[in-house]
Amino acid sequence: MNGLAMKDMDWKGNWRNITTNYSHWLSFILLMVVAIIVSPAFLSWNNLTNLFVQGSVVGICAMGMSLIISAVMIDLSVGSSVALLSGLGVLVLNSTHSLTLTILFCMGGGMIVGLVNGLLVTKGRIAPFIVTLATMSAWRSVINQLGQGGPFTVDNTMYTRFRNIAAGRFLGVPHLMIFLILISFVTAMLMSKTKFGTYVYAVGSNQQAARLSGIHVNRVKTLIFVYAGTLYGLAAFLLASRLTSIQAASAGSGYEMDAIAAVAIGGTSMDGGKGKILGTFLGVLMLRIINTVLIMANVPPFLNGLVTGVIIIVAVLAQSTKKGR
Amino acid sequence: MILEMKNIVKTFGPVEALKDVSFTTQPGEIHGLLGENGAGKTTLMNVLAGTFPPDSGAIVIDGNVVGGMTPAKANTLKIRFIHQELNLCNDLSVYQNMFLGEEYAKHAWKVDKHRELEHAQKVLDSMNSGIKATTVVGELDTAQKQMVEIARALLFSSELIIMDEPTTALNNREIMKLFAIMENLKKEGVTFIYISHKMPEIFHICDRYTVLRDGAFIQSGDIRDIDDHKATELLVGKRFVQAHIKDGITTTISDEVVLKATALQGKTFRNVSFSLHPGEIVVFTGLQGSGTDELATSLFGATELEKGTIETKRGPLNLKDIRTVMRSGIAMIPRNRKERGILPDLNIRTNNSLAYLVAKHKSLLVNQRKEHDRFERSRKRMNIRVRGDLDPITSLSGGNQQKVILSRWLEITADVYIMDNPTQGIDVGAKFAIYKLVVELAATGKAVLFFTSEYPEIQQLADRCVVLYKGEVAAQLSRAEISEVTIMEYSTGTHRGNLE
Repeated sequence: MNGLAMKDMDWKGNWRNITTNYSHWLSFILLMVVAIIVSPAFLSWNNLTNLFVQGSVVGICAMGMSLIISAVMIDLSVGSSVALLSGLGVLVLNSTHSLTLTILFCMGGGMIVGLVNGLLVTKGRIAPFIVTLATMSAWRSVINQLGQGGPFTVDNTMYTRFRNIAAGRFLGVPHLMIFLILISFVTAMLMSKTKFGTYVYAVGSNQQAARLSGIHVNRVKTLIFVYAGTLYGLAAFLLASRLTSIQAASAGSGYEMDAIAAVAIGGTSMDGGKGKILGTFLGVLMLRIINTVLIMANVPPFLNGLVTGVIIIVAVLAQSTKKGR
Repeated sequence: MILEMKNIVKTFGPVEALKDVSFTTQPGEIHGLLGENGAGKTTLMNVLAGTFPPDSGAIVIDGNVVGGMTPAKANTLKIRFIHQELNLCNDLSVYQNMFLGEEYAKHAWKVDKHRELEHAQKVLDSMNSGIKATTVVGELDTAQKQMVEIARALLFSSELIIMDEPTTALNNREIMKLFAIMENLKKEGVTFIYISHKMPEIFHICDRYTVLRDGAFIQSGDIRDIDDHKATELLVGKRFVQAHIKDGITTTISDEVVLKATALQGKTFRNVSFSLHPGEIVVFTGLQGSGTDELATSLFGATELEKGTIETKRGPLNLKDIRTVMRSGIAMIPRNRKERGILPDLNIRTNNSLAYLVAKHKSLLVNQRKEHDRFERSRKRMNIRVRGDLDPITSLSGGNQQKVILSRWLEITADVYIMDNPTQGIDVGAKFAIYKLVVELAATGKAVLFFTSEYPEIQQLADRCVVLYKGEVAAQLSRAEISEVTIMEYSTGTHRGNLE
C-alpha cells in the first residue's frame, strides 16, 4: 500500500472517528440550530432552563439506563418502579411529615427494586428483558391496588415545603436542573474514574473475557441495577414533589422508552461496552428540544412520537458506521 | 476441475493476511496446503469459498475467471468447504443439518423429508460412520460431528472439497476411514485441498503440496520430492528452525514446589496429578478432546473441578472464585483471544490494566496517568507496536493484541502463569516474542504451565511435557525424551505403558 492511500485511509478513519465519537454533539448542535431558526425565543433563559426541568425526572432515570445498556442489559420497569416509589413516597411523607425520611425511603426502596431485578437476572439467570417485563407489570399492579384508582396526594401540612423541592430555584437556577446536572456528573465520574465504571464497560464488551480477568460479572450486574434503582427512587421523589399528586395508573408511564431513547440518541451502543454519559445527558435534552420545537412550530402533538422515532433512527444510523463491518 | 487462484491479496485492517498468493490444483489430486497457524491457509480458502472477497487477484476455474464469489456461488460451482470449526445446528437432526439451505422440495414450500432422510443415510452408511440420520446433532460427540460435516460435503456431487483440519477430533481408525473415502472420490476426479498440521497425514494422503508462510506463497511441488525435515524448514523458515530460545538463558529449577495438583477430575479428564517448580516450563499437550482445554480453565477456577485438590505455597487453593485464584498468585492467559481475551470496545490501556485493577488495585478510583505509565513499561518490555494507548485494542494486529493480554497478566506478578494456547492465530514474529518472554519469565523464577498442540512450541519451550490422551495423563516426558514422534504416539494412544 502506498503512502498516499494510507493517508487517505487515515483521514477517512479520523473523520469516521469524529462522526461516531462526537455524533451526540453533532446532532445536539443541529437540533439547537433548527430550534433557533423555528423560534429565536428558544434561546431565552426561561425556555432553556425549562428543557432541564422537564427532562430532569426522566433524565435521572436515563443515567441508570446508560449503565444498564452499557452492560448489554435492558430495564423495562423504569416507569412502574417510579410510580411505585413515588406513590409510596407520598404515603410516607403524609404519615411521617419528614422530607428526610421520604427521600431515604424512596432511594432505599429504589435500591431494593433494583436489587430484585439484579438478583433475578444474575441468580435466577433470566434475561433482563423478561425480568424487567415482569417487574414492570408487578410494580404497576401493586401501586394500582394500593391507590384503588385514586391518586396519592400530598396533604396540606407538607404541601408547600415538599413542592418547593422541585419547583424551587437556587440563585435563579431551578432545583430540578441542578439535580439533573449533579446526577449526570456523578454518573459520569463513576463511569470514567472508578474501577466499577471500568468493570461495567468490560462486562458489556466481553463478558467471558471480563470473567476470566477476575471480574465478578454477576456482582457488577446486580450493582448496576441497584444504582439504577436508587436513581429511580430519587426520580420518584422529585416527580412526587413536582406533581404533588401521583396517579397510580399513569405516573411514570413511558419513562423506560424515553430513557432508552435518550441513551440511544446519546450514542451508547446497544451492543454494550461503549457508554456515553454526556451523550445520554444531551439525549435527554434533545428529546425535550424536539418536543419544544414541535410545539413552537404548531405541529399537532400527536405527531411528536413520529418525529422522535425518526430522530432516534437517524441518530443511531449516524453512529452505526463503526460496529457492523 | 482445474482451479487457479492468481495473485490473491487480502488485508484485515493493518494485517496483510495474504500477500500475492497464487495456487493451482489439478482434477483428481489431493493437494496439501501447508503452513503454520496464521500463515493464511484458512484465509485463502475462505476467499476461494466466497466467505469474503479478496482485495485483488482472480479465481479461475477451468479457464474462466469467476468474479464476485459467494458461498452460494461456490456451491453451484461444486466447491465445498469443510470448516475446521463445526458449523452445525445442535438442535437439528443430522439430515436436517446436511441439507440445510439446500432442502429437497416436495412442493414449493414443503421439504421432502423422506427423500432427504434416505439420501443422507446412504451417504452416512457409505462412510461406515454408524451415525443415524435422524439423530439430533447435539447428542453426537465431536468426532461424529466432524463426520457429519464431511458427509454434508459428500451429499451433492462436489468437484472440489476443501478440508480444514478435518482430523483434529478423529482417532486413527476414523482417520483411515476418511482417507479411504477420499481415495475413492479422487478416482472419480474429485479434487481435495487438504489443510493439516499433522505431517504424517500430509505425507500419507497428499499428491502435491503448497506452502504458505506469513501470508506469502513459498513453494509448490510433488509431495514425494520433500521429506519431513524439508517440510518443516519450508513451514517455519530457516531462521527459526535454528533459533533455540532456551539457549543462552540458564534457568535453575529449584526443588521447591510452587503448585501441586492431586487427582484432578473434570468432565473430560480424570486423575491428573503433577507438581510445578519455580523456573520450570511445563507444557501440556494433547489432541482435541483429550481434556487439555478443560484442564487449563479448571486450574484457574474458570470451570468447576469435580474432584481433586490444588495446593500452592500459600496453602490449598480455593477455586470457587477467579479473583481469589488470582490473588493466590496464579495468572491465566486464556485461549482464543477474540472470545476470551480482548475487550473489543475498550482501549488498549484499559485492556492492559484490567487484571491489575481487579486483583491488586486497592482504591476505588482509577488514576489514568498511572495506568498509562504501567502500559508504557509493558510496551517497552515487550515491544508492543501501538500508536497510542487510548486507541481501541481492535486497531492492533493479532500479535500485538496478544502481547497486551500477556502484559495484562504480567501486571499482577503471579507465581504461576497458565498459558492456554497463547500463540493461536498470530504471526511467527509475535510468536517468538512470546516464547522469549515465557523463557525470560521462567528465568526470573516463575513457573509456567503452557498448553499447546503445536510441536514446535513444545520443543522450543518445554522443560517437561505432559501428554494427555482421552482425559488421562499418557506420559510425562523430560526435555530429553521429547520428540515429535513420541508426543504424537502418546497423544494418539498408539504408545501405551510408561505410566507411573
